[in-house]
Amino acid sequence: MDNNNIDFKDLWKKQTITQPNMEDLITRLKQFKKTALHSLWITNILLFATCIFIIVIWYFYQPEFISTKIGIVLMVSAMVIYLVVYNRLLRTYKNIDATQTNQEYLQKLILIKRKQQFLQSKILSLYFVLLGIGICLYMYEYTSRMSVFYGITSYVVLLIWMGIAWFYLRPKEIRKHEGKLNNLIAKFEEVNNQLIS
Amino acid sequence: MEFEDIYKTYWDRIFRLCMGFVNDYDAAQDLSQETFIIVWQKLETFRNESSIGTWIFRIASNNCLRQIEKQKRFPKSELPIHLSEEKTYSIEPQIQFLYKCIAELPETDRIIISLELEDIKQSEIAKILGLSEANTRVKIHRIKEKLTQKFKENGQQ
Repeated sequence: MDNNNIDFKDLWKKQTITQPNMEDLITRLKQFKKTALHSLWITNILLFATCIFIIVIWYFYQPEFISTKIGIVLMVSAMVIYLVVYNRLLRTYKNIDATQTNQEYLQKLILIKRKQQFLQSKILSLYFVLLGIGICLYMYEYTSRMSVFYGITSYVVLLIWMGIAWFYLRPKEIRKHEGKLNNLIAKFEEVNNQLIS
Repeated sequence: MEFEDIYKTYWDRIFRLCMGFVNDYDAAQDLSQETFIIVWQKLETFRNESSIGTWIFRIASNNCLRQIEKQKRFPKSELPIHLSEEKTYSIEPQIQFLYKCIAELPETDRIIISLELEDIKQSEIAKILGLSEANTRVKIHRIKEKLTQKFKENGQQ
């Protein structure tokens, strides 16, 4: 024998195994469905609620300036774009066909992760820009009714906050995601290369 | 084939494949369960283009590959349960050693050798991995040599 009489097959099959009850599996199945939905819904509900809140304000307070209306539209679209992209990405990731060959599967995983990497940084930036411009326009109507001093102060405070978000929070968030994704892509590529070599 | 039959027929084989991949009893149990969850969800879409075995092993091995991601997210937690349960699973040292050696191989080699030890035809293994048959044969040969070498070094013969 080519492996010097070590019967690997025999050893392999001697592994102790307990076959769990099928009932356990069904319970697990239900749990699994629940948690998968859970993570998806939290982000969705939060952003959706914010959109509704903004629209309700529009409805009850009837802004007069066109700038306010444009501001609202920008803010809402920022959130909607984010929502749509986030959901679509999650869906494609969940639905990778698990019955392909390992090689095809690995390539799909890499592709999706790359796409995710691209979208995350681009969409996040777009989200910040739209939201920022939206807020500035939205505030104009209300600050114009204040005294010059308070009006300017409001904008200064807002711009400082947006500066922090843009120059500190945004890159930090992107870095966090990128680090994780880069490692993962590298690992998947390494595994894929094992098949090619 | 009904899901229940599949479950009963394939559980042991899938479990061993997962165990060869992670060499951790609880993780292998989880991976096997996940595999059967996918099988359960996808069973309707199964057409007899390939054998059901090939189909299931593809799902199982893909699921193993995918857990690389989870592994990074949840580093193996040192739950106290593991310690107390370890004794129940302890088996012949030779068997443990075999599984340990396999789990130390590169990821795809783990899958290849596990399938080979499950007595799956090399042509089927090639179809599961997406490799050519010749390539598969060479790989199996090399992996077996590697394992034999490890057993020798360890004086496990």
